[in-house]
Amino acid sequence: MLSYDFNWSVIWTEPYGTWMLQGIWTTICLGFISWCIALTLGIIIGTMRITPWKPLRIFATAYTEFFRDIPLLVQLFFWYFAAPSILPGFIERFLYRELPNFEFWVVVVGLSLYTSSRVAEQVRSGMQSIPTDQYYAALSTGFTHLQTYRYIITPLAIRIMIPPLTTECLTVFKNTSLAMTVGVLETTFMSQQIEAYTFRGIEATTAASLAYMVITLMVVLIMGLIEKRLSVPGLITRRR
Amino acid sequence: MGAFDWTVIIKNMPFFMKGLLTTFELAVVAISGGLFFGMLVGMARLSHIKLIYYLATIFVNFFRSLPLLLVIFWFYFLVPIIAGRPLGDFVSASVAFVVFEAAYFAEIVRAGIQSISKGQEQAAYSTGFTYAQTMRYIILPQAMRNMVPSLITQTVVVFQDTSLAYVIGLKEFLRSASIVDAREMKSLEIYAFVGLVYFIFCFLMSRFSQKLEAKRGAAK
Amino acid sequence: MKKSLYTAGVILAVVFCLTASAFAEGTLETIAKRGEFVVGVRDGAIPFGFFNEKNEQVGFSIDMAYEFKQALEKKLAKPLKIELKTVNPKTRIPLVANGTIDMECGSTTHTIGLEETVAFTIHVFLTGSQLLVKKNSKIKSAKDLAGKKVGAAQGSTNEAAIRDLNTKGAIKPPATIVVYQEHPQGMLALEKGIIDAYCGDGTHLGGLKAKAPKPDDYKIVGGMLTYDPYAFIVRQNDSAFLHFINAQIIEMIKDGRYMTIYDKWFGPKGVLPIPMTDEFKTLLKLQAWPS
Repeated sequence: MLSYDFNWSVIWTEPYGTWMLQGIWTTICLGFISWCIALTLGIIIGTMRITPWKPLRIFATAYTEFFRDIPLLVQLFFWYFAAPSILPGFIERFLYRELPNFEFWVVVVGLSLYTSSRVAEQVRSGMQSIPTDQYYAALSTGFTHLQTYRYIITPLAIRIMIPPLTTECLTVFKNTSLAMTVGVLETTFMSQQIEAYTFRGIEATTAASLAYMVITLMVVLIMGLIEKRLSVPGLITRRR
Repeated sequence: MGAFDWTVIIKNMPFFMKGLLTTFELAVVAISGGLFFGMLVGMARLSHIKLIYYLATIFVNFFRSLPLLLVIFWFYFLVPIIAGRPLGDFVSASVAFVVFEAAYFAEIVRAGIQSISKGQEQAAYSTGFTYAQTMRYIILPQAMRNMVPSLITQTVVVFQDTSLAYVIGLKEFLRSASIVDAREMKSLEIYAFVGLVYFIFCFLMSRFSQKLEAKRGAAK
Repeated sequence: MKKSLYTAGVILAVVFCLTASAFAEGTLETIAKRGEFVVGVRDGAIPFGFFNEKNEQVGFSIDMAYEFKQALEKKLAKPLKIELKTVNPKTRIPLVANGTIDMECGSTTHTIGLEETVAFTIHVFLTGSQLLVKKNSKIKSAKDLAGKKVGAAQGSTNEAAIRDLNTKGAIKPPATIVVYQEHPQGMLALEKGIIDAYCGDGTHLGGLKAKAPKPDDYKIVGGMLTYDPYAFIVRQNDSAFLHFINAQIIEMIKDGRYMTIYDKWFGPKGVLPIPMTDEFKTLLKLQAWPS
């Protein structure tokens, strides 16, 4: 019959407990920094996509497509192994030798750029999902272009954007797990490391899963509060 | 740095193509399986029956809170123990993807249904439609139209996600590339090529999605 | 706890529509029933298991696996298929333990810790942790790693060795360890200058060096930080299979097939020429106990 004796104590036995906590902390740092950068970049790029000025639109579209259409893992490998070699030698040496935690920052760069393109896409589609009638109605009441966006389109669009942005935010935290492939000591890495030392893979993976669930639950709760506060009556809500 | 050497790509083309084929196979399984179960779970998420609602909600929230990488590890190590027999790495990756992606497709389906105003549903009920009929003839056709762009976006995501099967040694496109890179040490050329191939497919798909969206906008 | 796992197993089995059949039977019976011998092999451990220029998976341990396959066919009196499954230092233990693979023929150091989870055959190779550096590097031994970046594979004895030296204060200030999932990634990082040295078993390093586009750009330095006898992994509590494989290895040492395979990969014309050390020869002699 199956023989697997659980031994949950490995999770809090030293040094494994500390490893796990360090991993979780790294995950939170990675996710938080990347999300802040991604959100800022994403809003800028997303807004650029709906500006009337064509060169901006083309640039923003190219940016979005480029970072969105290549898998994150490929991008990480590219940033880690390939990209620095096109830079001048002294920068390459700085990145590889001088910069503490080079691996960490590679992931921040890769994850932020990748996520920003997805945020930009959500911002654009959120803005454009507002029926053009609304726009014309506002203009006809004497609103300027800017006022229409400020008072009519954006408030509606933000409400539409919140669920997809929540998803993106969760995705950032979950995507930090890919950092293990370039040697960042985050949660998934630590769970595999504990597994390698203790062969308690199931316990270690469970602990990691719980950690991610807590992190994502927090994000969902925060975003849920925001969504509830902003909700517009009349649209279908969950029937209970 | 040194000159670019693109011959490394041509030399290893058959090996790359074999990897790409595996990527496609995995993507097809993940998307069709994920969409099918996602539909069921998505409707269950809006069910009046509490038990179904809670089960579906737990399923969706559970998998949406975990990184795919971890889920792949889980299924890779755990499924053989539970199933009591070994499953190939392609099979265990497929199971992981179908289950994981179903949670995401479910949310798209739910959002699509919720995007249809409540009045439509009430109107349908008042004309004597049952739940199934309302869903089948009124809500889903409209919801589907609203969902299409998100579905295609998710399809692109799933296609990219298949690259994570790399971690369990499945020789998909990225794994094949890294095997060649380890030998040839031409990271720049190889990862640029890999990126380009993924880009072409994903770009075409997202363009297609935008076309559909634009058409929908015009029909309004 | 076992019971609750079983319950969870039943539930999941229903969910995934899988027929649960536990492996109460031995590995020999499983192989006979399946008609297939599933072996875990490496894809980046030159020359134990790797992809050659034709992108075929070959190596010392893979050749050994084919010998086992032939012996199994004789023993079970039926033709068998062989399936090579790629494993890495992280997956090899669970995959043997959970029955995904019948055995692992790679390059695993035999340790007491691992014996808790799986069983090992007799030793098939002898090596130790050393450092791979660039030709012009000033690093001569582990002490010179102070304040440098050193790579190692996750879950390897090499990584543990460096970590150990760091905590003991033998490397001052401690070296930064960058942990890679596989050896080739570490080699790539060394080539790019991301790390100053890569710590691995001498043979692995020799393999990585030999397979590099310019082998002369690298050198292997340092005495052995650890002593690593390699053995193949089999499931625990299956003495019939373990003894069968051990007997095959002894046979091979005695009738010269072992040396033929050794020469093919480590001989002067092999992928990785390493003259067999005296300790290694003695180890083989002592292990080849009488029939």
